[in-house]
Amino acid sequence: MKFDISYIFDALPRLLEGALITLQVAILGFCFSIILATLITIAKTSFNSRIFNGFIAFYISFIRGTPLLVQIFLIYYVLPVFGLNLAPFPAGILAITLNSAAFVIEILRGGLASVPKGQFEAAKSLGISGYALWWKIILPQTFITSIPPLVNEFTMVLKATALLSVITVVELMRVSQQIYSANYHPVEVLSATFIIYFLMCFVVSRSSVFLEQRFKVKRA
Amino acid sequence: MKPNFLEVIDINKKFGNINALKNVSLNVSKGEVICIIGPSGCGKSTLLRTVNWLTPPDSGKVILKGEIIGSDTGKMTFEQNRSLNEFRARIGMVFQQFNVWPHLNALENVVRAQIVVRKRMRDEAEKKAIKILNEVGLKDKIDEWPDNLSGGQKQRLAIARSLAMDPILMLLDEPTSALDPELIGEVLSVLRNLVNEGMTMLIVTHELGFASKFGDKIVFMDAGEIIESGPPNTILKSPKTERLKLFLEKLSLTSL
Amino acid sequence: MLEYQIFFDYFPMILLGFWLTLKIVVCAIALGIPLGLILALGRRSNFILISFFATSFIELFRNTPFIIQVFLFYYVLPFYGLRLSAEYVGILALAAFGSAYFAEIIRAGIDAIPKGQLESARAIGMTDWQSMKNIILPQTVSIVLPPLTNQTLTLIKESAILSTITVHELTMTGLMVQGETFRPFEVFIMVALLYWALNETIASIMRRIEKRYSRNRKQNKIVRSNIDIIKSSGFSR
Repeated sequence: MKFDISYIFDALPRLLEGALITLQVAILGFCFSIILATLITIAKTSFNSRIFNGFIAFYISFIRGTPLLVQIFLIYYVLPVFGLNLAPFPAGILAITLNSAAFVIEILRGGLASVPKGQFEAAKSLGISGYALWWKIILPQTFITSIPPLVNEFTMVLKATALLSVITVVELMRVSQQIYSANYHPVEVLSATFIIYFLMCFVVSRSSVFLEQRFKVKRA
Repeated sequence: MKPNFLEVIDINKKFGNINALKNVSLNVSKGEVICIIGPSGCGKSTLLRTVNWLTPPDSGKVILKGEIIGSDTGKMTFEQNRSLNEFRARIGMVFQQFNVWPHLNALENVVRAQIVVRKRMRDEAEKKAIKILNEVGLKDKIDEWPDNLSGGQKQRLAIARSLAMDPILMLLDEPTSALDPELIGEVLSVLRNLVNEGMTMLIVTHELGFASKFGDKIVFMDAGEIIESGPPNTILKSPKTERLKLFLEKLSLTSL
Repeated sequence: MLEYQIFFDYFPMILLGFWLTLKIVVCAIALGIPLGLILALGRRSNFILISFFATSFIELFRNTPFIIQVFLFYYVLPFYGLRLSAEYVGILALAAFGSAYFAEIIRAGIDAIPKGQLESARAIGMTDWQSMKNIILPQTVSIVLPPLTNQTLTLIKESAILSTITVHELTMTGLMVQGETFRPFEVFIMVALLYWALNETIASIMRRIEKRYSRNRKQNKIVRSNIDIIKSSGFSR
């Protein structure tokens, strides 16, 4: 069976639609993950509760020690046992959010450590505290320093979305499976899918260089 | 006319916009000891490194015992690459930063290239290594790790490593510049022995004392060109050019 | 609510899946690390064709999801007449994926070695390969060991994806048991804990090795400065 490029062109429109879903899932998941990770980071530094910190440490250890696929199954198959029945799409978003947040917490921890301690003290002496302290002073510096690892994390999220195909979320990977199950040309369809993923990730990681220059990130 | 042992002909080298070497030529006879001096950035190290093609020149030729090192064009063929490696095995190079290999002990530093490059057998290589390590005064340090050696010992180890390959020419790039003052003497005495044994040497150095006593010729470089060259007495006592006079003045000021 | 019996009845089967996971990962790193070394050296090569091929391979495998690489291997290999079982396809895919990351790790290690080391090796007549083998690569070992181990941990987790091409590793086995028992909680807890335990074990061994190694480093520094003090007081040659 020879490689027939016409199958690629036929499949392209649907694949690109799937790619769009992939991007939506990735962006949604990543945004939620950043929000969650930021809240946890603020809670950790502000409250200093041993129980809370211990719980977060356990959560991070679990996420980093187990495959994402297993985490996806836990959310999709196990949560219903406890009464939480999630449809594929929300289950997928939740899995990605929880997974990515564990890594973003570590990234923010590094970014936070590079904010000079004097910033906290100077702000406090000026009377700035609480919400304003974080929102106006600490977080911006933390995030700007963290741009390179955060962009890298986003590419990880992009790649992770492909796993949601196993719980029937209709993103790019799933679409491509649907297509070649129908036309029996998996090689052509998968090659096209492969290239699309590559272009997405490649563009994102190159944009990291652009973002770094724009925000004048000083590399460690 | 005796053919020259080493001929460096019309070497040009640019690094980006900087003209490191401008049409530099040099002739070296067998057994000659030439000391190259000059202000930093004048191209003396670059010149040394073109001799064994560690820094290939943009144009010009390097001829050793009648054979071209590297090639006379910019690139090398496979054959030329192979003979370059053979040339390098016969040319010893000693670096300012010593560059001893930290993951091998002193003996192995001297033995390894003999086995890998010269294809000698291990016992032969070890015997030779021990003999040379003795000659440079590292008899007690044969099993020592480079991390535990002083700067002077490391440099003597580096010299021993080169000598084990039976070189016909030695290139020394500021061999004592990175050493604490009290360690310079031990390295210079090893070099003195080499001179007395008749080794052909090109030394980039700031040690004018050594140069005047043991050098046959001193070459003064500035801004990529050879300005003056001649016997130590002439160069150091009666410099002809302004630039050399200025350079010597600066040196004598700092040595005060 | 928790059916403890499940744990006892099915643990042996789950353990078999775990064992296959281990075997697959070991084979994948046995293939992947040498391949990564070849890619790293290829990337540095002066021959544009080799360098381009190596760089392309690395970028293609690092910028795409592992699951699609697995599927591509699964469907493309028969094209070239290679009808392999799912396990072998899985090992090849995992090795290829790993090699791209290993290559970058090794490349960083090589770049970390001071330039003078390569120069002194070349200046004494060693070829590129002789310099690498004798002088550069041995010095990279202590540098690359931690990130290589980290990448192995990643490979262990990525191996779960091989369940999608029906390799009977740990995750697939879990799904099968789940299908029989309809007790997803018990099953996936076992599966997750096994992955987690393996991960933690290797990670803590690595931490301990690193700690002991860096302790030696500090001792060496102290020893060296003592020697320097003694030397400069003029008592030795």
